[in-house]
Amino acid sequence: MYQALLTRKYLTSKIMPLLAMVAVMLSVATVLVTWSIMGGFLKVLLESGRPMMGDAVVHWPVAGFAHYDDLVERLEAHPEIDAAAPLTESLGLVRLPNSQVRVITVKGVNPEGFRRVTGFEERLWWKPIDEPTPKDREREDPRLTNHDLMELFYENGLSMTRADPVTGEPDDAAILGIEVSGLLERTEGGVYVERASVGARSDGSIAVENIFMPLNGEVGLILLALDDEGVPIDSVSRRLPVANEFQSGVYEVDAGTVLVPLGWLQRQLRMDEATKVDTSSDAVFESFVEGDDGVMRPRPLEATGVAPARVTTVLIRGAQGTTPDDVKRIIKDSIYPEFAQAHPDVPHPLDILVLTWEDQNATLIASVRKETGMVLFVFGIVCFTTVFLVLAIFWSMVSEKTRDIGILRALGASTPGVAWLWLRYGIAIGVVGSVSGLAAGYLIVTNINDIHDWLGRTFGLVVWDARVYYFTEIPREVELYKAIVVFAAGIATCLFGAALPAWRAARMRPVEALRFE
Amino acid sequence: MTSPTTQPAPLLEVSELRKTYRLGRVKVPVLHGVELAVARGEWVAILGASGSGKSTLLHLCGGLDRPDKHTPPARIRFNGRDLTTQAGGAIDRYRSRDVGFVFQSYHLLPELTVLENVTVGAMVRLGRFGFAREKGKVTARARELLDAFGLGHRLRHRSAELSGGERQRVAIARALINDPKLLLADEPTGNLDRDTGNAILDVLADLRARFGLTVLMVTHDPENAQRADRIVRIADGRIEETAAHQSGPAKPEPAAG
Repeated sequence: MYQALLTRKYLTSKIMPLLAMVAVMLSVATVLVTWSIMGGFLKVLLESGRPMMGDAVVHWPVAGFAHYDDLVERLEAHPEIDAAAPLTESLGLVRLPNSQVRVITVKGVNPEGFRRVTGFEERLWWKPIDEPTPKDREREDPRLTNHDLMELFYENGLSMTRADPVTGEPDDAAILGIEVSGLLERTEGGVYVERASVGARSDGSIAVENIFMPLNGEVGLILLALDDEGVPIDSVSRRLPVANEFQSGVYEVDAGTVLVPLGWLQRQLRMDEATKVDTSSDAVFESFVEGDDGVMRPRPLEATGVAPARVTTVLIRGAQGTTPDDVKRIIKDSIYPEFAQAHPDVPHPLDILVLTWEDQNATLIASVRKETGMVLFVFGIVCFTTVFLVLAIFWSMVSEKTRDIGILRALGASTPGVAWLWLRYGIAIGVVGSVSGLAAGYLIVTNINDIHDWLGRTFGLVVWDARVYYFTEIPREVELYKAIVVFAAGIATCLFGAALPAWRAARMRPVEALRFE
Repeated sequence: MTSPTTQPAPLLEVSELRKTYRLGRVKVPVLHGVELAVARGEWVAILGASGSGKSTLLHLCGGLDRPDKHTPPARIRFNGRDLTTQAGGAIDRYRSRDVGFVFQSYHLLPELTVLENVTVGAMVRLGRFGFAREKGKVTARARELLDAFGLGHRLRHRSAELSGGERQRVAIARALINDPKLLLADEPTGNLDRDTGNAILDVLADLRARFGLTVLMVTHDPENAQRADRIVRIADGRIEETAAHQSGPAKPEPAAG
């Protein structure tokens, strides 16, 4: 009981415990901020695949595989799989309005199926904000200004079409990653505003043009068509209007991906359904027929069958509670082998790639994991010095309070009782310091992007570069279990720091403590 | 020696008490086989010059320190119980329940109020749950003591805000909060002027008269020692003389020597 009374009195009447509390607070806040941001970075990286790729993919690059509709049907029939959708992926070049040409990944998707797997509509950027928050207004989000136009862009994005300005008929259209065009500028508030397109004319003068991609922009796509054995057939160059833009949150994806309608891309890449002809016969060019005009031409090849349409990828989303690894196991163990048995012309089950997002980015994710562990380890060591700081402060306080210890012993306080007084005092400092540290850490983490913007504005200090760290925003989530672990570590730090001084206090002989000056 | 059939057993009985301090490698003997007995209700003054060993004797009697180990062994018997053979926990309980200390420099806890300084002794004795159960009773007792010592209006003050005499009265109240059988006073007037010192001795005399409290007081001042029932002179760690001074409830002879 006397321990509680003295702990309260010592806490409120001395500067030393305040210093110890500040030390603990800073340590706790530092570790929490570091762990939350680095852990958040890893978490966002692990979760960022779902909005673009679902939980897992069946993948056969470049040449692709046929009968994908059957595979989709088989997948969706499984109770642990919610949805599946075909996708064709190809490397290509994009020619932008300012004549810049960039290497990109072109993904052909069926809008409806793609949405079912990925929830992609959430990622479309140009859409109306029906219930704007005060922050939306504060950052002057341009999406608040023209609701009807935004509604149109959103509809265009969902259908991947844009009306022809002359005929009014819907044309196939592309959806660009928000960073692809270079015509948008991300503000400090995290919204995108138009930036004038500046280009050089042939006469050397500078042309400034205002282009808003979903309204009047179009891009040129240059693609390489391959046959089903991966042999180049020819290159194609097409122009496509832009229906909308998307933001996945992963900078690399946003800066290097263009979505187009699946059927359109299949046609360009010669992956659509086609008639098979026999080109093996020597008589192909020896047999001629006379046309109506009397001109002799080679005899048309005889159709021998139909080559089914192909895709490179099928995206899969697992049912609620099913992990990506579960989905992968189900596909590899049962669904794909049965599919391959039904269709001998698809890749063998041992060859086909079934990958989760984590598999596809294994190197990056492993390095981020290691980096997170390393940073935590280093900060843990730095924070371990707090133990010695608390020890030094407590040692000094025990010296200062030696006579009090003697008085308590004279009143009958036991050795463990005196030790508990100092341990309890350490715990109290740990609790107050850790709670303050958690509060400070939480405030820092949840406002980290604002703080970062302020540092950039005030001191020109830009630590987080989206091009380096993949994400456009610094992760700002504090997980409960991390807060609990850091809180407990803060208290343990104080306990360790207080243990030796407590032992020293407990071992003092009462008579010597009373004589201490 | 007085026959045990006619005299009650002493409350405190000390024999063969030796104590040596170490100053670096040098051994400094302070007590040389001291013998002493204090009867119940008696006020004994140990009178001696500075360095004579009187405070050491008091500390040993109060369980604040341990005597040297030697043959024949030292004995400190309190109420028939040999303290020298007791473990640390039992000595802690002895200090908490059976004795109360009053020191020359008061030894109040500076962060606590007057009332808290008095009740802290009961907190130590009763523990967390015991104190929680008897808090009202303990607080009432502390107020009663402080009122009796003229400090009822100072309950919320800290020791730094009190005069020397007031501090010493708080210290006496703290020593009495657990109703000890023996009060050990180490130069209780040493830091006070004559008038205040006399007032403190009046308090001790009053306590002894009203409650039959046994008092063992250490002093270097012969005039203060005159207030006791019996004066024990100590010099160079040896009892030199025991003299009854006033009439008191019991005046037993030293146990030996």
